[in-house]
Amino acid sequence: MERITIDPITRLEGHGKIEIFLNEEGEVANTYFQIPELRGFERFCVGRPVEEMPLLTNRICGVCPEAHHMAAAKAIDAVYHVTPPRPAKLLRELLYSGFYFTDHTTHFYALGGPDFVMGPDAPVAERNILGVIHKVGLEIGGKVIQARKYGHTIVEIIGGRKVHPCTSIPGGLTKGINEEQRKQIEEMGLWAIEFAQFSLKLFNDIVLGNQAYVDLILGDAYTHRTYYIGTVDDNNRVNFYDGLVSVVAPDGTRIGKYGPGDYTDWIAERVEPWTYLKFPYLKKVGWKGFVDGQDSGVYCATPLSRLNAADGMATPRAQEEYEKFYSTLGGKPVHQRLATHWARLIELLYAAERIVELATDPEITSDNIHTIPTETPTEGVGIVEAPRGTLTHHYWTDERGVVTRANLIVGTTNNHAPISMSINKAARSLIHKGVVVNEGLLNMVEMAFRAYDPCFGCATHSLPGQMPLQVTIRDARGEPIQVLRQHC
Amino acid sequence: MDDTASAPTLVLGLGNPILGDDGVGWRVVEEVARLTGGQAGSVELDYVALGGLSLMERMIGYRRVILVDAILTGRAPLGTVHRFPLEALPPDVCTHSGSTHDTSLQNALRVGRAMGAQLPDTILIVGVEARSVFDFSEELSPEIAAAVPHAARYVIQSLQEA
Repeated sequence: MERITIDPITRLEGHGKIEIFLNEEGEVANTYFQIPELRGFERFCVGRPVEEMPLLTNRICGVCPEAHHMAAAKAIDAVYHVTPPRPAKLLRELLYSGFYFTDHTTHFYALGGPDFVMGPDAPVAERNILGVIHKVGLEIGGKVIQARKYGHTIVEIIGGRKVHPCTSIPGGLTKGINEEQRKQIEEMGLWAIEFAQFSLKLFNDIVLGNQAYVDLILGDAYTHRTYYIGTVDDNNRVNFYDGLVSVVAPDGTRIGKYGPGDYTDWIAERVEPWTYLKFPYLKKVGWKGFVDGQDSGVYCATPLSRLNAADGMATPRAQEEYEKFYSTLGGKPVHQRLATHWARLIELLYAAERIVELATDPEITSDNIHTIPTETPTEGVGIVEAPRGTLTHHYWTDERGVVTRANLIVGTTNNHAPISMSINKAARSLIHKGVVVNEGLLNMVEMAFRAYDPCFGCATHSLPGQMPLQVTIRDARGEPIQVLRQHC
Repeated sequence: MDDTASAPTLVLGLGNPILGDDGVGWRVVEEVARLTGGQAGSVELDYVALGGLSLMERMIGYRRVILVDAILTGRAPLGTVHRFPLEALPPDVCTHSGSTHDTSLQNALRVGRAMGAQLPDTILIVGVEARSVFDFSEELSPEIAAAVPHAARYVIQSLQEA
């Protein structure tokens, strides 16, 4: 059996490794996707005051600390059986919308977008944000930097500091915003709407205007008919901060919605011998292996999943794009994973519109931002939509509020099984006997998982300076017959 | 790009302070603060868990930056202190300067410079050879903890060489 190893995965958090095993005929026999897991966080939390969790958990990951902060904030509300006043909820969601705006911008322009803007066959040295700037124009770089700055500033105004917010406490927030800050956020939000519309136009021109890319998106190589989950509001519209988690089947039927307290009725976790990371699946459907279809409990939690699991977007411009998305791609649900990049931009527009909506809510500058907890703390679950998937924090405490146990299901983990399936399927359709494995081809395998915006480790632990990519092809005896490298 | 820095030189401890040896960059900068008694003159000391574009954005406005980080070369004993300019960062070495969520620090700096951002002329890396960066803990391994004063002196020496 031949073995092709892509190690580590370029542009993915932490070290990742894909192993592709070929059979005697040179066809893909099997693929394994391995990543090292950061260990012991749940144990690390035990013995600490639960109100520290929004600060501690946002140190898990350098990519989405705001998501961990917010899931932890909602979990500690639940632990203390307290509901924050409406202005506090609005402010948290406003902070979160600013974060989403930054995160989705970064993914499109630096991580996922270059595959399309530069093309999957472009040399790896050009397939990055610098290449995008050279191709699209210098002003785009300035806009991306500006977009990130605005998102960070919104987080800082409400969260007390950039990137690692520190203002959520059980029952609300430690500080509100004044009229001057509100106005500043509103102005940034108006700019953000224009930027998101510009980004969608760019996607429309470069990707949808290129038949080869449309064929790539709609092709079978990147298609899986799985279940989808995503948080929705009372009207079944996408919401990042609050609501119920909607679950839809591969045929688009909603099979139910669950609140934070019921997540264990819906989600179970599978352990495989070849990786430490677990594979969550829908308990009510059951684990049938790495397969798609109505009978397999494999589900997906991504921007595409959120759109599939909802009935629409809660803001007008994003709703227009939502309708165009499904009419262009042939109706709901959309199973083509590369469409996730488009879905992410629709969410970018929604985040921008939501910033303006929340910043102009009459209650947003209210000083009624905290409900003092009066009950004995016990146990609680908080769920938010991290940009890369539904994020669940579950804490147990003693009567003093000291953590006795914690369980986290992070965004990317939801997608572990679908990512493995996508890599396998892409490899099977792209690697055949006689086909020479080259960088462009391997990048197309990598594109399979890049659409999920996976984040296993984070910028908060050591990473390779240049993310070397080494591909080793081995013959049936395990001897290397070809070694391809980039950044090495 | 109208950001102006409060000091011409920035010393940044990189890493995750609750991820074992990964937090060594923070500890070294704390030690620098202790040794200099907060009297480092025109030097700003800070601790961040950032990479890529975010790290580049943090460096805007400074003439010189010293990044202190855990480093995994796999070719030196634990606790070995490395010191080299960013340009000399070997491609197969692990540090926080390579954020894979967006882009490498080197690319991020090119983006920033292309945008007209005032970015440092000199970026020096002081790296402590580490290994245990996957287990959550506030404790450093003994070899790494023992290297903290050495690394701090390297930083101070580098500041004086300006």
